[in-house]
Amino acid sequence: MSPRVSNTFDMAIGVIPIALLIALWQGIAMSGAAPPSLLPPPGVVFGRFLQQIVSPAYLEHAYVTLYRLFVGFGIAVLAGVTFGILMTGSKAVASIVRPIVRVLAPVPKIALYPAFTLTLGYDDASKIALVIADAMFPILLATYQGALAVEPKLAWSARAAGVSPLKTLFTVILPAAMPSVLTGCRIGLIISCIVVFLAEMITSTDGLGHLLVRAARNFQTVDMFVPLITISILGLLLNAAFNALRRYLLRGFPEEK
Amino acid sequence: MISIDRVSKQFETSRARRHLALSDISLSVARGEFVSILGPSGCGKSTLLYIVGGFVEQSSGAVIVDDNPVTGPGPDRGPVFQEFALFPWKTVLGNVMYGLDQRGMPKDEALARSRELLTMVKLSGYENFYPKELSGGMKQRVAIARTLAYRPNILLMDEPFGALDAHTRTKLQNDLLGIWEKDRKTVLFVTHSVEEAVFLSDRVVMMTSSPGRIKDIIKINLPRPRERAALLLNRRYQDYVVEIEKMMDEQPETRVS
Amino acid sequence: MMADIVSVERAEAPWWSSAGTIPGLPPIMACIGLLALWEVVARWYGLNGLPPASAALPQIPEILTDKESLIDIADSLRRMVTGFALALIFAVPAGLAMGRSKHVAAFFNPLLMVIYPVPKAALMPIIMLWLGVGDASKTLVIFLGVTLPLIYHSYQGSRAVEEKLLWSAAAMGLSAPARLIRIVLPAALPEILVGCRTGLVLALITMVTSEMIARQTGIGNIIFVSLDLGVYDRVYAMIVIIGALGFILDVIFESMRGRLVAWAEPSQAIVVGTT
Repeated sequence: MSPRVSNTFDMAIGVIPIALLIALWQGIAMSGAAPPSLLPPPGVVFGRFLQQIVSPAYLEHAYVTLYRLFVGFGIAVLAGVTFGILMTGSKAVASIVRPIVRVLAPVPKIALYPAFTLTLGYDDASKIALVIADAMFPILLATYQGALAVEPKLAWSARAAGVSPLKTLFTVILPAAMPSVLTGCRIGLIISCIVVFLAEMITSTDGLGHLLVRAARNFQTVDMFVPLITISILGLLLNAAFNALRRYLLRGFPEEK
Repeated sequence: MISIDRVSKQFETSRARRHLALSDISLSVARGEFVSILGPSGCGKSTLLYIVGGFVEQSSGAVIVDDNPVTGPGPDRGPVFQEFALFPWKTVLGNVMYGLDQRGMPKDEALARSRELLTMVKLSGYENFYPKELSGGMKQRVAIARTLAYRPNILLMDEPFGALDAHTRTKLQNDLLGIWEKDRKTVLFVTHSVEEAVFLSDRVVMMTSSPGRIKDIIKINLPRPRERAALLLNRRYQDYVVEIEKMMDEQPETRVS
Repeated sequence: MMADIVSVERAEAPWWSSAGTIPGLPPIMACIGLLALWEVVARWYGLNGLPPASAALPQIPEILTDKESLIDIADSLRRMVTGFALALIFAVPAGLAMGRSKHVAAFFNPLLMVIYPVPKAALMPIIMLWLGVGDASKTLVIFLGVTLPLIYHSYQGSRAVEEKLLWSAAAMGLSAPARLIRIVLPAALPEILVGCRTGLVLALITMVTSEMIARQTGIGNIIFVSLDLGVYDRVYAMIVIIGALGFILDVIFESMRGRLVAWAEPSQAIVVGTT
């Protein structure tokens, strides 16, 4: 097969499992094995999704979720990258931050959520705090590891040109570590997306996660699927947007596999 | 101008083991002199260069440059590395301008200076290329331009042509001599090629390894400006090459540690 | 800090890398530091919702000796282990196969990409509709949460296996299935274990989250029962227990991994995950 034919072929077979899944879903729903109250047919779910996605009330909830997501993620990026870079530049900072990260990184942050609600209330702040706690560590670690792997001679070249150590840190080490930093950010972004939704499911009065729980309480199965689909599509879109940004930012770097 | 006074360097290879990379090196280089350091790989010649550059700290001894002891990198000593060490996220022009920019040179002045240098290394027209789009020889030309941009008095060249193919290598050697003839900067040039050392240098410092010591210093009495084609037929040149190669063969081969 | 950056000592290690320290000690100091910070902040603000560490920590032995809590915790761990083991059995072969065949990879990749951003623990209410509130739904959710990173890392590991290793093995007469088990699996093991480490953290997270969403039994449930009763000391004690569990699991796994793949390069794995 020529490369082009093979590519089209590969793309085509990739559709099969997704199509099968939807067909199976449709099949079960049509066969009557599962009543619509348990498994509404896909057509109904997607119809409801299209209907909701243009409804102002629904969009209001989506907006709340997005707001928490972006504020939390933004702070996580700032904090993660700053700490990651400062750790690289200073042994003193590293010797303090590293053990703390070692202890906190594997801790399931969602367990902190009750504490956040107790101290920060049930509103935006506790959810944003959870997003920060969850998204910050992968970004911090990726920045730190990326920065450590930077070819020292890049930094030497800057230092020899008379650039100060601190400036070298931010004008050479940080951009040189950018591929790794962005990998961390992408992981952090998806995590933010997921965690904001979960926080809203656990305790909230608004947001997409809350809509799912509300639908579950009222046994409106169709409405349970819609927020789930929304947050997943949101994740895919954000991921795609992030990849485009990554391609732009890394245009000078050699291609990765 | 450069005075290396009884410099030694030990590396800790593990908690218990130490490796003496440089032992008691003393060497003076006069202003405007082109000196090559020649030796087998692992003899510490690059480490010596890094110590003069201020990138690596000696274990004992001192390096004095223009009456000042070296304590760190500075724009009076410009390095050129075998690995090029170009900033992949910056264009050719961006790389050359970086040091000038960071040190606060006005934009248009930095731009003019950078263009002038790119013309000098025969790369005008490539300003907006990224390093990954260039061949090895072109990358090293950019690196040389980047270093010359901030007008160092001393060039520290660490096997700059070691990663290039034979043809590109001779071309860059010729061009380097051409540039050097104009203002006769002091050059410390590390290489493991005998011919390269003889062709370029006023003096060749031969090193042995484990521990790195100066074995001999040979003055190259060949007229300047040198022209490669003529020199290859020159009996004195051939004698230097043969003599130095013989001396190199006398030392035992070192294992790579 | 400036001095640190300027002092350039070792040529072989990046000059800004921090020096090696006594293993084990810094994390303990970090724990003490964090607890001290908690104590100070709690006393400073005197919030009802933030009892000081000195009030919360004594609750830990009480929870760990209370029979009911122990049953809850054991339930949680059992589900976690089952879900993780099932994911391992399914995901590793799938990932290895994807890494060795472009078509298998092309077959599964789009599906995985679509599933990737779905919050797995959020499926809990729907799965509970189908499978009830018992172990089955929670185990399934943990399974779903762990599967993806495991597949991904097995895939990466098996894809990176040097083609020439396999040629040599084929030349020695190893059949295709034998090559997969004797060559690809061990060669991909370091990367698979990275996936396991991420998966383990994820299993714990999914477990806690699913129990917080479907409050029936388990660790997540203890937290919310205490929260509803207003016993905040106990809430914080549980949080510390879960945190410690995460940290201990990670330490155990890392030491095990170190032994299993001592021949491999030290991993730079980023432990992340949520579900």
